[in-house]
Amino acid sequence: MSTNGTATAQRDQLTSLERVGLALQYKKPDRVPAAPLVCGASGRVLGISYGRWSQDAKAATASLLAAQELIGFDGWLTLVDLSVEAEDFGQEVLFPDWSTALPNFDNPFIPTAQDYGKVRAFDPRKARRTSGVIEIVRGLAEARGKDVAIMGFVYGPLGVLSQIRGHAELFKDLIRHPEQVLEAVNTITGVLVEYAVAQVEAGAHAIVLDPLYSSASILKKQTWIDFEGVFMTPIADAIRAAGVPVVVHNCGNGVYFDAVIEHIKPVAISHAYPAYGSADLTAHAQAWGKKVVTIGVIDPAKAGHELSQADLLEECRQQIETFRIAEGGFILSSGCEFPPNGNLLSAATIVKAAQLYGRY
Amino acid sequence: MSVDPDELHAALANAVLELDEPLTAELSRKVVTLGLDAWAAVEHGLIAGMNAAGKLFDEEEYFVPELLIAADAMYAGLAILRPHIRQESAVRGRRVVIGVVAGDTHDIGKNLVRIMLEVAGFEVFDLGRDVPARAFVDRALEVNADVIALSTLMTTTMDQMAQVVRILRTEDIRDRFKVIVGGAPLSQQFADRIGADGYAPKATLAVQLAKRLTEVVHAA
Repeated sequence: MSTNGTATAQRDQLTSLERVGLALQYKKPDRVPAAPLVCGASGRVLGISYGRWSQDAKAATASLLAAQELIGFDGWLTLVDLSVEAEDFGQEVLFPDWSTALPNFDNPFIPTAQDYGKVRAFDPRKARRTSGVIEIVRGLAEARGKDVAIMGFVYGPLGVLSQIRGHAELFKDLIRHPEQVLEAVNTITGVLVEYAVAQVEAGAHAIVLDPLYSSASILKKQTWIDFEGVFMTPIADAIRAAGVPVVVHNCGNGVYFDAVIEHIKPVAISHAYPAYGSADLTAHAQAWGKKVVTIGVIDPAKAGHELSQADLLEECRQQIETFRIAEGGFILSSGCEFPPNGNLLSAATIVKAAQLYGRY
Repeated sequence: MSVDPDELHAALANAVLELDEPLTAELSRKVVTLGLDAWAAVEHGLIAGMNAAGKLFDEEEYFVPELLIAADAMYAGLAILRPHIRQESAVRGRRVVIGVVAGDTHDIGKNLVRIMLEVAGFEVFDLGRDVPARAFVDRALEVNADVIALSTLMTTTMDQMAQVVRILRTEDIRDRFKVIVGGAPLSQQFADRIGADGYAPKATLAVQLAKRLTEVVHAA
């Protein structure tokens, strides 16, 4: 600590990869790792439009590297957008210049419940967008894979299906046409197994699975288990068999931690809100902090758009204190992707907070 | 054969609650065939059923799929009954223009708010998803709306909400409308910063907010 009462950062003693690796094993590193999930926002470091960043693997890789050099975060998440897999299954995707890519739901690939049979397997190593993500992983690994953590990303099969059917229509089909949905989810699962393994082979140190609908704000727990949870198990098993740990990300409200852990067995969960059944973050930390490593839990919109740097520092400090109970199993992060149009200084402030307040 | 309207209303409400769209349509046709009061059937049947579904949603017995299908049932009945509602018995609700802002197609939250606003008696003009800021303003002027309700789930499109407010200010019509915002990444702080009149973190609270704000509008 400095003599004037203001905390000052000490020199880091571990590489980012070592730091994250220890945290994922509940071993206290030199300090709390910081990974503010700077994904699309990285494009702005090199002045690349979002549309190009989403589709040009070399440009995305260069900007992710530049963002890490600028901000100093401990890990990358290769989340490009939630339409990557959907496009390769056949969904038309729109690419705004300065916003996240999105499916054109005026032209859904599955326009009716009778069209689920159109979902066919493809080779993610060759398809346009999934192969691009694999190339990003490879590029990061070749450049900095020895010292910065690379977390690949795979959207869950039900999430992917929602991007090619339309969210509301899919949710209604869960009740009206469950067999057709399950058949499509099964086909998608096979592709995602290959996609995850390909990212591991390209150099990812962990794979993040996103079971977005395992959340009380969307589905009943058993519904999620039946339509996605049981399909997540073989994907997670394949990732572990390929030699790296599985992490879960879900920015939904009231995530079913028990069901997610049972079916995916992740070493860590990245989340934005307290788990289902926990009234607040303190209760959450007490209930889950020692059972699964926490990645989070800074509100991304507030971090990127609302909080002053001083307020964000204080918010980070409080969260670090809240998760001291985890005995090292905590990575300071935004609860979802750092806003692509957010203040990049705030991403740096999250790292600064870990350096100032996160020493073990 | 005489039919007890109360029993028919209860059956309609139950059909919506039980997510039975064909039965809801059949019972609605029965209301028409028997010459019963169509608005009473809407109010005490369809809306009552939707309210019951909403209560189960709040109690975590129903989730998004169930609520969406209950709404489909309600709208199926409404399509049959609406042409038979006598003008004088229709609720003259406040008018809301609602939509998902440009660049975003996540519309479930917006749809839930729309349903609950309609159930609460508002006249809702749904512009859908990926709606340009200009279109919100034009439609609000056209229908003389009380409220402009803006939804987004993405941080990258939040500024589109500010754009709506900027247009209203630029054209010196800001005071003619109450602007409310909602969506997962938003906060009261964000609403305050862009100059919106209110923020609601969930659908049911959006309805309360709209009610409160429109009472203020019409009391002024």
